[in-house]
Amino acid sequence: MAINLFTTSRRWAGGLLVALLTTGYVYGQDLQVSDARASLLPGEQPGAGYFELYNAGDKAVVLVGADSDAFETVELHVSAEQDGMAHMHAVEQVEIAPGERFAFAPKGHHLMLIGREKALSVGDEVDVQLEFADNQRLSVTFDVVSPVSL
Amino acid sequence: MYKGLLVALASLWLAGCVDTNWRTAETHEIMPPLDFSLVDENGQAVEAEDYAGKVTLVYFGYTFCPDVCPITLARLAGTLNRLDDDVRDDIQVLFITVDPARDTPEVVKRYTGAFGDEFVGITGERSEIDALTNRMRVTYEYETPNKRGDYIVNHTSAVFAFDREGEARFLIRDSHPITDAVADINQLVTES
Repeated sequence: MAINLFTTSRRWAGGLLVALLTTGYVYGQDLQVSDARASLLPGEQPGAGYFELYNAGDKAVVLVGADSDAFETVELHVSAEQDGMAHMHAVEQVEIAPGERFAFAPKGHHLMLIGREKALSVGDEVDVQLEFADNQRLSVTFDVVSPVSL
Repeated sequence: MYKGLLVALASLWLAGCVDTNWRTAETHEIMPPLDFSLVDENGQAVEAEDYAGKVTLVYFGYTFCPDVCPITLARLAGTLNRLDDDVRDDIQVLFITVDPARDTPEVVKRYTGAFGDEFVGITGERSEIDALTNRMRVTYEYETPNKRGDYIVNHTSAVFAFDREGEARFLIRDSHPITDAVADINQLVTES
């Protein structure tokens, strides 16, 4: 048991090292994030994360999720209007082709930031890890803003 | 043909069937006056008549909505900001929740407080909310809860405008430019 655990954690550590090295190389240059804002709603109500992704690389990237120490859960969602009704649902993934920009913007795709782990104020910054297929991660700093400013 | 059309229009006008030529969408002919028995953000039982005397803008939403609801309310706050102070004093915005199980008076009060003094949170019995939405022929629907017990509510996205007597006058959709909403709200406030 002890040996298994040791082996597992060594494998984990190795994997993590590779992930860190490749993250720095691949997404540091080829994937650019701009205009990252997280709306802060009163009380315990969930907020939304907005940003723009630019894939400057020559391979498609697939965003599959997000995670943050600042929130219990972060989900990828999309809002849409159909026949005068506002709909929202979770999305599994978003693919961004080489050379394409993809906006997470009000009333469209957004991160749903659920369950604040600590108090936040307008003007704070929160880090969110964007998770991609092939286990790549990209840490993005979001400015905490009032919904009225969006 | 034009003559016939003019006569038809003139008779409609005389019969009082043509509302002001709004830039947004007219509702006077298709929607009944505002009528409800609900609970305000201070926990007080309220009726639609309690809001008579001012122009009332109504939006149905829920506070667990992270994107569409706050963006719509923020846009409405931006719209009101373009009006003169004395016009704004004659306007109230009712944020009526379609999710009263989660949206208690305290929750809707805190939520609407983020958007401005004109915004009032309204909740109440689900049956009373249904009576209102059925009367206005607007719909909402709950989705299946996730593992955390969170659920999404799909709801009508328009903002409904009522005059000082509670008569339905027009509705503002997302697709209407803010300048059109500003013009119509301004006209509704200043007409009486």
